[in-house]
Amino acid sequence: MHIYIYDCFINQKKYDAITAKIETRITDLGLNGKIIRLSLMNSLDEIIRDEIKKGAKTIIVVGNNTIFNQAINAMAKTHHELSITKRVPLGFIPVGKDDNEIAPLLGINLEEAACNTISGRIIKKFDLGLANDYYFLTEAVISTDGTKIEIDQKYVIQIEKPGNIKIINFAVNTKLPPSISSCAQDDVLDLFIENKKAGGFLKKNEDKSSIIPFKFLTILNQKNPLFIDQDIKITPPVNIQIAKQKIEIIVGKGLNL
Amino acid sequence: MFSKDKKIEIKDAETVIGPSIKVKGNFHGEGDIVIEGNVEGSIKTNSFLLVGNKAKIIADIEANDAQVGGNVTGNIKIKGYLEITATAKIIGDIETSEISIEKGAIINGKYTMLKGLSENHKPSSDK
Repeated sequence: MHIYIYDCFINQKKYDAITAKIETRITDLGLNGKIIRLSLMNSLDEIIRDEIKKGAKTIIVVGNNTIFNQAINAMAKTHHELSITKRVPLGFIPVGKDDNEIAPLLGINLEEAACNTISGRIIKKFDLGLANDYYFLTEAVISTDGTKIEIDQKYVIQIEKPGNIKIINFAVNTKLPPSISSCAQDDVLDLFIENKKAGGFLKKNEDKSSIIPFKFLTILNQKNPLFIDQDIKITPPVNIQIAKQKIEIIVGKGLNL
Repeated sequence: MFSKDKKIEIKDAETVIGPSIKVKGNFHGEGDIVIEGNVEGSIKTNSFLLVGNKAKIIADIEANDAQVGGNVTGNIKIKGYLEITATAKIIGDIETSEISIEKGAIINGKYTMLKGLSENHKPSSDK
């Protein structure tokens, strides 16, 4: 059975027309299933766990980046904890243009047009990053201020200028050099260190960034937290590695990797 | 193999150590590496290594091919071709098959040409 999980914000009246169109399209395509609306009273993790246990064929989240990222963590955890070898794929129906940068990279169009992607059922397997016990598809970010990094237990990195440190599995908000594959299918994560560029009208705008592929790293910082998917906050020390768990996602024909 | 005319750009490398980065330990990579910052320990890659003009390295280096333009204190072992540019300052022994040294480079250390060694030690039946 297809399980549709609507994010809390979809419950607002202004989204009624959009959800009606989505539900009509789902019916037209013969993709009917169970609809669950998230609220303060239920948790996405528990819903996903329960529905996978009951034998869900597909989990489809309806909303924006937030619910999509949370669903990835919940599904990877469930598959791991229940030792499920035949993974349940994750579908996504993005609603609203705001906070929906991941969908176009997966070739998924907005709202009812995304139902065609679900119907097409092109399933791709993606690597996941694991930060302590949180699974992520996209990026983790921490300030360089006070940060020390140990990579693959072989070497230590110190950053001498202010900026941001990003751990990238699937680049959403970061433009990487063309030689770097950030499509979450190469079995490595990339450490991207972006230093703030010196200002000034006549100063040359040199590229000051660093990039290092890795499989395991430890981040130490006593002042600043690490943010995952711009949402989840983790206090260091944080161990980040490429997860053994993969996620299967229903993608569109225009997959942009 | 690395061509003498090849000019690697930062955007082509899989690993880039920028100028504001200091690495301590055994830094071993598999693809092309560009170093513009500081490294202490050892550096190893089976591909190409570019040591930029402002890089400061206190480490033994092993690579397939390399271009060195910065400060290196340590031994350099290159399987293929090593290009040393005018801005380079090297204190350590160098071992390579092919080399070019630009006027102005400072090198203090023993130099071993691997190519010559292998030719001299060819068995007589090969001649």
